[in-house]
Amino acid sequence: MSVKTEERVVTPTEHRDTRRGTSRGASRLVSILAFDKIGAVYVLLAIVVVFSLWVPETFPNVTTAKQIFNANAVTGLAALSVTIPLAARVFDLSFALNMTLCGVAVAHFVVDGVPLVPAVALGVLIGLVVGLINATVVVGMKIDSFIGTLATGSLIQALITLVTNDTPISDVKLAGGFSKIGQTTVGGITLPVFYVAVVAAGIWYLLEHTATGRRLYAVGFNPDAARLAGVKVARLQFLALVSSGVLAGAAGIVLASILGGGSPTAGTPYLLPGFAAVFLGATQLKNGRFNAGGTLIAVLLLGTGTTGLGLANAPQWSGALFVGVVLIAALTVTGLQRRTTLAARAPALDEGSGGNAGEAPSDSGANVSA
Amino acid sequence: MNTPQVDLRTGSGSEAEPTVRPVLGIEHLSKTFPGTRALDDVSLDIAPGEVHALMGQNGSGKSTLIKLLAAYHSADPGAYAEMDGAPFDVGRSVPAGLRFVHQDLGLILELSAQDNLALHGGFARGFGGRVLWRQQEAETRRVLAAFDVDLDIHLPLAAATPVQRTVVAIAAALQGWDGGGVLVLDEPTAVLPHDEVERLFEVVAAVRRRGTSVLYVSHRMDEIFSLADRVTVLRGGRRVGTYDVASLDPRGLATLMVGDDVDPDFRAGVVERTDQPITLEARGIHGKWLRGVDLEARAGEILGIAGLAGAGALELPYVLAGKAGSQASGEIRLPATSPDWHDVQDATGLEIPLVPADRQTEAVIAEFTVAENISLSALRTLGGRGRLSAKDEAALVASWSEQLGVVSAGHSAPISTLSGGNQQKVILARCLALDPQVLVLCEPTAGVDIGTRVSIYRIIADLAATGLTVIVASSDEGDLLALCTRILVLRDGVVAEQLAADELSKSVLIRAIEGAEQ
Repeated sequence: MSVKTEERVVTPTEHRDTRRGTSRGASRLVSILAFDKIGAVYVLLAIVVVFSLWVPETFPNVTTAKQIFNANAVTGLAALSVTIPLAARVFDLSFALNMTLCGVAVAHFVVDGVPLVPAVALGVLIGLVVGLINATVVVGMKIDSFIGTLATGSLIQALITLVTNDTPISDVKLAGGFSKIGQTTVGGITLPVFYVAVVAAGIWYLLEHTATGRRLYAVGFNPDAARLAGVKVARLQFLALVSSGVLAGAAGIVLASILGGGSPTAGTPYLLPGFAAVFLGATQLKNGRFNAGGTLIAVLLLGTGTTGLGLANAPQWSGALFVGVVLIAALTVTGLQRRTTLAARAPALDEGSGGNAGEAPSDSGANVSA
Repeated sequence: MNTPQVDLRTGSGSEAEPTVRPVLGIEHLSKTFPGTRALDDVSLDIAPGEVHALMGQNGSGKSTLIKLLAAYHSADPGAYAEMDGAPFDVGRSVPAGLRFVHQDLGLILELSAQDNLALHGGFARGFGGRVLWRQQEAETRRVLAAFDVDLDIHLPLAAATPVQRTVVAIAAALQGWDGGGVLVLDEPTAVLPHDEVERLFEVVAAVRRRGTSVLYVSHRMDEIFSLADRVTVLRGGRRVGTYDVASLDPRGLATLMVGDDVDPDFRAGVVERTDQPITLEARGIHGKWLRGVDLEARAGEILGIAGLAGAGALELPYVLAGKAGSQASGEIRLPATSPDWHDVQDATGLEIPLVPADRQTEAVIAEFTVAENISLSALRTLGGRGRLSAKDEAALVASWSEQLGVVSAGHSAPISTLSGGNQQKVILARCLALDPQVLVLCEPTAGVDIGTRVSIYRIIADLAATGLTVIVASSDEGDLLALCTRILVLRDGVVAEQLAADELSKSVLIRAIEGAEQ
């Protein structure tokens, strides 16, 4: 029983890696399974073992595994929505409030009698507009994204209060088709889990297999160099923020459907777990690059830990403590690795730091000032 | 340390024996990094009050030696060091009398001279931690007075000239240390324009008058001959020898630095071909420094751009490549493709590739692999319908890195593991992958060792021979003399002179650049 559950939880990532590895030979496999690439998978396995021993009667079974998937789907959508901007090193701190806004807006439309499809389309459109505003503020007006999207977040909060008067929107109309978006289950797995898979696959393809993805990373690592190499930096940052607006909006609609109504504070709890998962994910698979696969591993790791703590009746605060500890530990380990690599690179850096190469030694050069 | 090892392989110069006990003596200093021995059994002694030059190409171990002295790196076991007769643990501790001014000066440009000095030497503080500003100001003036520098100590250092900043850095380093000791100056002239170097020399002389010895790190030959008493030459991490400067000539010193296998006076020998069509025209180029530059260049030509800092020579390449930002104006066209003029603001469509001046901050994407760095400019051509073809990319990367002779541990190695010269080849490959008609280079050999430098010259000359138009802007006259068919000398943002590079001597070029009537 226990063994089966472990496979269940780890399968999505482990299986893909293994397949890729065998197709390119054993040494490739070793490098893919290396701890510094997928350390979080091993930590995840360890967590599964620990909780299987700690709470053997409730943790190691299929129901728990499904529960972990279902309960963390929105966190996954939230984290994926900021993966693209972060790849280009742009923050979208407004995404959680954007989720709330789109959720309450769609709930509002549905209650007002707007048919489901146009209501959802309008909700996504609102997310798009938020993305456009973020992009205009950050790229057009050249305001640092960290503070810029904090500011637009405040604007969004104002809109949320305007729409809801800070009271949840609930109505019997919301129990109809609207609730199916997030509450329908297929074999015990809710639809949002499949949304996560689709969005993750899309982002993975974009970042790994298109020129745009490569350019996004270039912009994130060194915008000056990217610009001088002909990459349209501003345009990519703009599009990245638009993408997070749309994805966060969609995530917010899914969340509202799961909750069965428009809560004026629905998105806010996803701000920290979302960023935590993306940053933890960047330490996985791709050596410091924000990526979809790593983000999924991170969501699963954090979700499994918090679910397990819940089942073990650990105190309420232990979940937040767990997220904080894992994040700091992961970033510390990555930082240490980077420093070790940098030390090994020192000779190369020495040479590069020459700055001005000075003059080629020659007779005439010395004679001038001699 | 009174008997430096004599290296019999070196033909020129004579080993210099110090006559008095050295203020700083180091023996058997080595440093091993994973895979490389950056410094191998090096000895160094510095006599009281002397200016001791440390010379060597990039990669010779100069920087490593300085970083060991500064205890930034730890030394391999077996080293012995003493200062003023007191042994110290080199690489782990720094004696009080050993002071450093690093190449980047370590100043905070947003703060004033007074604040920068106080950050190094401490603030004068009264009751409750309150800073005694009046006392602080008097102290600042006293410290700077020794160096005869005319500077508003309350203005941010960003407003000061480069040499003023260097003086502040030297004053900050020497604070609280009167007489004796050793001041290490790491490439102090790298950030200085030609005309301010003399001023730095006066400051070095003032330091020496205090009785402080100077370890002067440079690879500029002319500076050593006008400044130093003795010189220690490093090559490939080993000490070649220590010599009285008076016993050396520049040619001999150059040979000591590079060995016998590289010709420091390399000339690419590209001839100007006036029968070739004009491939690049620019008119009315203005910018931060530029005040109306017109130019044209032909296929197969290597056109040099020279000028002092502030003359606009290093700005021009960015403008020509359409990457100078909103300050630039003017028009440019590629007559071979289209007769239309383009505003330089939207000339990015012409896709003129640029090798930027500062490789680390403007060119290399340190987190990317060699392959990703090369393919960045040409991603659009790889694969189709939105998919990036890994196969096409690998083929492009393999072809260019082979053509330019990039030495790396593989195309998937991080670019930061490459030497400066090989990184520069990668950036060149990135530009050439666009298959351009015109290539613009800014400081093409900055931080590149002489061996690789010559191979970069050869690559550029070969490209020109196939009809590529190359524009080279450089503050290194050696680059321009080695490569160019024609050199435009800029002064105050306009073309002041045009020189045929044939038979041009370095002194004539430098005189033209400085606009001197000597």
